[in-house]
Formats: sequence, C-alpha cells, structure tokens
Amino acid sequence: MTPGSSHPDILIVGGGLLGCASAWHLARRGLRVALVEQSQVNAGASGQNAGSLHFQIERRFLEQGEEAASDAARIVSLNRLAIAEWQGLEDMLGRGLDIAMHGGLMVAETEAEMALLAFKVARENALGLPTRLLDADELRARAPCLSPHLAGAAWLAEEGHANPRILAGAFAQQAAREGAVIACGARLTGLAMQADGQYRATIEGLDGLGEVTTPRVLLASGHWSARLAGLLGLNLPLYPVPLMMNVTERGEQVLPFLVQHVGQRLSMKQSEDGNFLIGGGWPSRFRRRADGLPDLDRPGEIVEANLLGNLAVAARVMPGLAARSLLRSWTGTTCISADQLPLVGEVGKAPGLFVAAGGSLFTLGPVLARLLAQTIVDGRPADELALFLPDRFAHLNAFAVLP
Amino acid sequence: MNASMSYDVAIVGGGPAGMAAAERTIGAGLSTCLIDEQPRLGGQILRQPPPGFAVTGWQSGRLYRAARALLARVERLDAFDFRAGHAVLGVGAGHAEEGGFALSVQPLATGGVERIDARRVIVAGGCYDMPVAFPGWTLPGVMSAGAVQTLLKSPQVLPGGRIALFGTHPLMIVLAEQILAAGGEVAGVHFAQPRRAMLAALGPRLPGVLRAWRPLLEGARGLANLRQAGVPVHFGSAIVRAEGGDALEAITLLRAGGRERVACDVAAMCYGFLPQSDLVRQVGAAVRWAPGPGGWETLCDEGMRSSLPGLYVAGETAGVAGSDVAMLRGALAGVTLACDAGALDEVEGARVAAALRARIARLAPFTAMLRELADPQAYLPEPELETLVCRCEDVSARALDAAIAACAEGDDGFGASAVKLRCRAGMGLCQGRSCEHAVIRRIARASGREAAQVAGFTARFPARAVPIAELLERDAPAR
Ligand SMILES: Cc1cc2nc3c(=O)[nH]c(=O)nc-3n(C[C@@H](O)[C@@H](O)[C@H](O)COP(=O)(O)OP(=O)(O)OC[C@H]3O[C@@H](n4cnc5c(N)ncnc54)[C@H](O)[C@@H]3O)c2cc1C
Ligand SMILES: Cc1cc2nc3c(=O)[nH]c(=O)nc-3n(C[C@H](O)[C@H](O)[C@H](O)COP(=O)(O)OP(=O)(O)OC[C@H]3O[C@@H](n4cnc5c(N)ncnc54)[C@H](O)[C@@H]3O)c2cc1C
Repeated sequence: MTPGSSHPDILIVGGGLLGCASAWHLARRGLRVALVEQSQVNAGASGQNAGSLHFQIERRFLEQGEEAASDAARIVSLNRLAIAEWQGLEDMLGRGLDIAMHGGLMVAETEAEMALLAFKVARENALGLPTRLLDADELRARAPCLSPHLAGAAWLAEEGHANPRILAGAFAQQAAREGAVIACGARLTGLAMQADGQYRATIEGLDGLGEVTTPRVLLASGHWSARLAGLLGLNLPLYPVPLMMNVTERGEQVLPFLVQHVGQRLSMKQSEDGNFLIGGGWPSRFRRRADGLPDLDRPGEIVEANLLGNLAVAARVMPGLAARSLLRSWTGTTCISADQLPLVGEVGKAPGLFVAAGGSLFTLGPVLARLLAQTIVDGRPADELALFLPDRFAHLNAFAVLP
Repeated sequence: MNASMSYDVAIVGGGPAGMAAAERTIGAGLSTCLIDEQPRLGGQILRQPPPGFAVTGWQSGRLYRAARALLARVERLDAFDFRAGHAVLGVGAGHAEEGGFALSVQPLATGGVERIDARRVIVAGGCYDMPVAFPGWTLPGVMSAGAVQTLLKSPQVLPGGRIALFGTHPLMIVLAEQILAAGGEVAGVHFAQPRRAMLAALGPRLPGVLRAWRPLLEGARGLANLRQAGVPVHFGSAIVRAEGGDALEAITLLRAGGRERVACDVAAMCYGFLPQSDLVRQVGAAVRWAPGPGGWETLCDEGMRSSLPGLYVAGETAGVAGSDVAMLRGALAGVTLACDAGALDEVEGARVAAALRARIARLAPFTAMLRELADPQAYLPEPELETLVCRCEDVSARALDAAIAACAEGDDGFGASAVKLRCRAGMGLCQGRSCEHAVIRRIARASGREAAQVAGFTARFPARAVPIAELLERDAPAR
C-alpha cells in the first residue's frame, strides 16, 4: 500500500467481483479506496464459477415449495436490472469480456416439470420478465443438439454467459486507474470500531503498513464475510456452500445458449473456445481440519457420486456430450444467505460497515456493486436495494455490543 | 461405479519403485493391488516390448541388471493383483467412516471407470522428460528422448532415418547407443554445456562418486562406442531452432565456432526429468520444486510418508534419482507401510529400513553429481515471441508474457494458475504437463523470483482426460 492509504475513505475487504467492481464505482465517484485481498484478485468464487448469466428464477428458489418460490420471485426485479447492466458492461469498461447473451433455456423432462415451468413463467411475466414457454417441437427447432426426449423449456432471449476468468480483473484494472489502491497478499486479521465511530483494521502481509483507520469498511469477502463480521461481534446470515464444476475438451460450436434444468441441478454452456462447462450447483465436500471441523479455507473435494450425477444429467439433456472427454473438475465455495436473497448494504448496528455477499453474484455482481456504491456515496440505500438490505436480519445483532 | 474392490495397499506405478514396494507389502502379507497404465510391468527403464514381439538386445546393459532381477521376482509372485493397462485418474478420500483412499481407475482396453478402495496408497508414478519450448519445437519430428526410447521398444522400431539428440542429460549417450543397436542413424549428440562444466561437476565429488562407479564406466564406454561408430558428440553445442516445412528437416545449433545446421528427420531433446506427481498434488500432499531441472517432487519423511496420513511415495515421484535409488525407496516405502499397518514387527522393520537408507546414502553423491552435471538451467533454449509455449491451447510466448504482465499489476505473488486463467496456457488435453515448467520459469524471471517460489497449476481430477461416456458406464448416479 502506498503512503496515504492508511486512512482511506473506505477499506474494501476482498478482491473478488464484488470488491473490485465496488472499488471502481467508488473510486470513480472520488472516494479514496483501499482494497485488500488475502490472495490474488479473482482467486475466490469469482474466478471459479460457471459464468452463467441466469436471469430466470433459479431452480434453487423453486425447490422449497410455491410459497417460498413466490417470495423469492422478488429477485426478478434485480435480474431485470442486471440484464441492462450486462448489456452495457463492455462499453462501460472499454474492453471485451467474452459476454455472450444469445439466450437461455431452462429445460423440463417430464410433464410435472413442464407445469413447474409454466408456474414460473407466469410469475416472471407478471414481474415484467419476458420468459416464454417452448413446447418440445419448438425447443428441438431452436436447439437441435439437445435431447429429443425433452418435454420443453422456458426461454429468455437475454440469458447467456460470460468469462469469469477476466471480469473481476478488468474491474480491478479500471479501479486502479481511477486511483484505488489494490493490495494483494494482504489479509484482514483484526477489525475494531473506535469510540469515534471509525474502524481500525489490522492487515497482515503488508510491508510496514499493517494498520488502517477508516470511516467505512466493505466486507466483499464472499463466504468469509460472516467470519470477518464476527471480528466486530456481529452476525451475518451467510453460509458457505462448496460446489463443483466440470469442463470438457474443446469441440465445434453447437450450443450458443445457456442451458439449465428446472427439475435437476444443471447449468451447461459452450465457451468461446469450444469447451463445455458443466455445473449447476452439485456440492463438493469440505476437507476436514485436524480438529475434525470443516476446513472452509481450502477448496472442497469432489464427491464422486455428485460428479457422476452432474455429468449424467448433462449427457441426458445433451446426448452428444457423452462422446466428449472430461478435462478437469474443480471445486469452489460460494456463499448463500438465510433467505437465499443477496445481502447488500449497510449493517444498521455498525454504521459505516457495509456488506455485499450471498447468492449468484456473478450474474448480479456488476449491478449490485453499482447500487452499493451509490448507497455509500449518497449516504442512503438505493431504492433498488430495499429488498436486499442486511437489516432484514437486524434481529441477529440485537445483542451485539459496539462502542 | 463398477463394483469396488478393497485392499490394504494400492500402489500406483509398476516401475522399479512400485515393484520393490509391492514385493515388501506382499511379503508382509498385506493385500496389494499394483496398478499401471502400461500393458506390462517394468516402468520406464524396463518398458517391455509387447508380448510376442522380439527386440534384440532389449535392455541388455549391465545398468539394468538389478531392476531386471526385481522384475523377474515380482513376475513370479502370484499373491497380488496387477492391474495392467489401468490408468489412475484420481486419488480421493475413501469411505467417510473407514477412512483410507478411493482410486478412480480407467481400464484402457475396455473403457469405463472403476473404483478401487485401499487403506493405504503408495504413489510411484515415475518421471517424464522435461519439455522445452524453442522455435520449431512443435514440428512433427521434434520429440522427447523418452518418446524415441518408447518407439525403439515398440513394433514401429525406428521413428526416422537420421536422429539428432540435444540437451544436457547424459542419458543421450545411452539413447544413442540404443538407436545404433536398433539399426538407426545418429546425426549427432549435442550437449549444450561445455565439457569443462561437466568435469567441474564431477571433480570435487569424485571420491564419493567412485563408490557408484558402474554408471560412470558405462558412460565412458558408451562415449567411446559412439566415437567408434562415427557418431559426432559435441559439447557446448546448444540448439537454437528446429526447421522444416510440414515436418522437421534440420536443427540449428550454436557453438563456439559459430552456427551449424544439422539435417535430420528426428530431433530428440533430453534436458532431464520431472517427477510425475499429479496424483499426489491432486489429493493435496505437499510438494516442492526440485533442485536442478525443477518439477514438483513430493515431500516425504525418511520412511517415504507424504504429508498426508496413509499416503506414501516412492521412486522418482519423490525426486528424480535414477532407477537404483527408485528401487531402494520403493522397498523403503513398502517396509514403512507394512510397519504402520502392523504387518511387520517394528524392530525388524526398523532394521531393514536402516539398511535400505544406508544404501540410498551411498548412492547420494552420485545422484547429486549427476544432477549438477546434467543441470539444464543455464542452457535452456529460448522460445521466440511467436513460439507456442502451450501447444494444446495455442498460447504463444507473447500471449503468455502479456498474461504474466497483467497478473503482475498490483500483485507480486501470483502463481501459474492465475496466469492460466488469463491466457489458457495449461488448460488443454495434456493437463498442463507440457507447459507448466515453462510457465513457471517465465513467471519467475519476469517477477524476479526463484522458480521454487512460484506456485504451479492446481492439479485436478482427472489425471488423464476421460470420455464422459466411460465415466457414466456405472450404475445409477446419485440425484
Ligand atoms: C525416457 C526416460 C529414460 C530413462 N532412462 C533411465 C536410465 O537409463 N537409467 C536410470 O537410472 N533412469 C532412467 N530414467 C529415470 C527413471 O525412469 C528410472 O530411474 C526408473 O524407471 C524409476 O523408477 P520408478 O518406479 O520411479 O518410475 P517408472 O519406472 O517410470 O514407473 C512408473 C510407472 O507408473 C506408471 N504410472 C504413472 N502414473 C500413472 C497413472 N496415473 N496411472 C497408472 N499408471 C501410472 C507408469 O506407466 C510407469 O510404468 C529414465 C526416465 C525416462 C523418462
Ligand atoms: C462452482 C461455482 C459456480 C458458480 N456459478 C455461478 C454462476 O454460474 N452464475 C452466478 O451468477 N454465480 C455463480 N456462482 C456464485 C458466484 O461465483 C459468487 O456469488 C461470486 O463470485 C461472489 O463474488 P464475491 O466477490 O462476493 O466473492 P469471492 O469471489 O469469493 O471473493 C471474496 C474474496 O475475499 C477474499 N478474502 C476473504 N477473506 C479475506 C480477508 N480476511 N482479508 C482479505 N481478503 C479476504 C478472498 O480471498 C476472495 O478473493 C458460482 C460459485 C461457485 C463456487
């Protein structure tokens, strides 16, 4: 860190998509930003994810029954904003980001799944998202590489995918150009609120500059955010979810769409380079620490049954996949909130402490970072964030003691 | 998953190290499964010709006598399972309650993927030729010494008419003799290091080295044989580029006297060997960058235990040291494991282990001398900016440098994985085996670090690319 960054206007903890995008928006608006990342930019979930831009209501929201699904459908308002955000992103950042928004299909194999899709499409349409139901024939005409046995699909023209390998780095680069200080190999190990309301942060791994005093801290630290809030004695309703992903060798381009499944965990797409990426939320398993507790700091290990399960669904939906070779499987840890909706904004109990985590934040990261930056600069929550503020869980911190 | 088999010990690799380990674990009465992707036992140096195929003079050299004797002993054992032609794709945690390991194994002939459960695992995966990217290295005809050696022992017999050898490793002398014996023509042996550098490595260690005099003698005898056969052997002769249209036509070498163009159909590089440690890294055991040529050797204690309980290493996977040391380390791993499993009396085990360690120590001066004498670090040819460094994903040195520069912005501790994410080097079919070394060296140079300080690619399942259909040839998957 450079001299002067020991008293930034805001300290951002985490160099994933949320941290880097927020750093850029805030630096552009004139704040002195210092970002600390314990490892490297994009080393967490932001660089390990499937890169799906899914704007339809996700399957995980439909798993818990109709009432929960209707509740969670509120996410659609955010998804609509995210579509516009992605459409303008390359212009905004002034570079290519391998964004492909050629449409997305959420397929169904059975009549029961078709009924679930119809329910979902009706909810989405009512909320202004133009999804459309395709029957089996329409689906086959649109995506001949998929199985002829599929019952149909929900179609959304704006869905697609982008390259998670480059997005966070692109934001970081722009942020640095706007004057943000980005320190890698720098880990937040201590956080306290002083009597004057300022935060004092201890950073390990910075040569000679371990203490930062700042009026604002943003925890954009993925699933680590909950533990870091613990440094202040605060609770955040976030939990880590270890997942796995698979990639095949390259092949000729046959699948321009994002493919998901309404009844099974599946996300599938073909990258610009021709590889098929197969995921969709199949869990991996945390390794154990010496004391027997799960090791949250290391990537999970592959659960063989889930690897096979994931590939089986994918090959059922797209039979041609069976002939492709699996190149690599990897694991990464994402972060989900207690009600599955993102947690973005100021923590009421600790003025100046902000958080941004929870959910499919590759898709939603760019728009959430912009709204969060607006919130921080304006000093009041952006209207669009009303549903996602951390204080919907204010009761978790009813007993917290701060200066 | 096809029916899972359960063993006390699974040994990956049927080379000198794996065979020696198996001999000990079987001797201690442990149920043992030895797995190798090759069709026959023997590993790299004893790679046997396919059954029924006669090659004259196959590994007749005195150097391989001990290994051949071991092979003969192990082939007579019948109390164990040898899974020939089975590739191990991954080593993972075994049953939640019982512990141990689960190996995903692909029978190459029939397809499908099987699971083998074992309480303990020894990884003895050997080593592979260090790949080096230089202008023209992707031309058909440019290959590794190992590839030439494999071809020599197979029905194809000779890959080309005129074969040129270049690099820094004395194995070139052995290989040249093998080519001659098989009726091929050697267009020259080119050591990049000057003769005096080799002598300097030899000199101070001579007394210790002389205790392992046989390989030296064989080397000197080999050189004399080559001279007699009219094969030019040059020192201080470093390759600059390989040239040709659709295939290799010649290599250009730089020497004190100027440039020389040597016409050849095959050019084989031999800069040394890298430990085969993909499985060990995949399961999360600690490794370190090897001295000399580099590559990741597995950290182990004096009983060949890796940093993971129940996982042992043997042979070149634990550090490249030649077949004699590989055999001794294999035996040591087997003995330690048998003691840990309670199948061998502690006192007896300790006595045998101490004797094995003493023999390894006697070979250490020779191993160290060879490593120094063959050290390629100062003599590696350089790629040009347009030379492909990752040939699977067509990543040029220029693109690699750009990715390294981008990673270096704001971060000086980045590793090979970060660079791979940016430019795709290492994302292809070979799983990064052929470019990781070059990527690490380039990162080290660009960021003023030692190669040992640069983290490598993250090793992932599967160790070899596998068709999805084969993985799915199992009973109903979980939902
Ligand atoms: C081209 C070449 C030439 C060499 N020549 C000599 C020489 O002349 N003298 C000398 O002392 N040393 C030589 N070596 C070094 C070394 O190979 C030997 O010292 C010796 O073979 C080491 O024994 P090992 O058991 O450790 O490995 P290896 O003999 O290599 O045996 C390892 C075995 O593991 C198997 N294996 C690896 N991974 C998997 C997997 N995932 N699934 C299934 N099977 C797997 C391989 O098929 C192989 O058979 C050479 C090495 C190479 C590459
Ligand atoms: C396998 C997988 C597939 C996914 N697929 C998709 C998808 O297709 N579409 C989608 O929208 N979302 C997907 N997600 C979710 C998405 O990747 C994440 O929601 C998103 O990347 C979160 O970004 P982040 O910046 O909040 O967190 P991260 O990218 O995890 O960044 C947090 C950073 O904080 C750093 N950090 C933590 N503690 C400290 C500390 N004490 N000091 C300094 N730094 C610290 C970490 O090193 C890390 O780099 C997937 C996730 C996974 C794991």
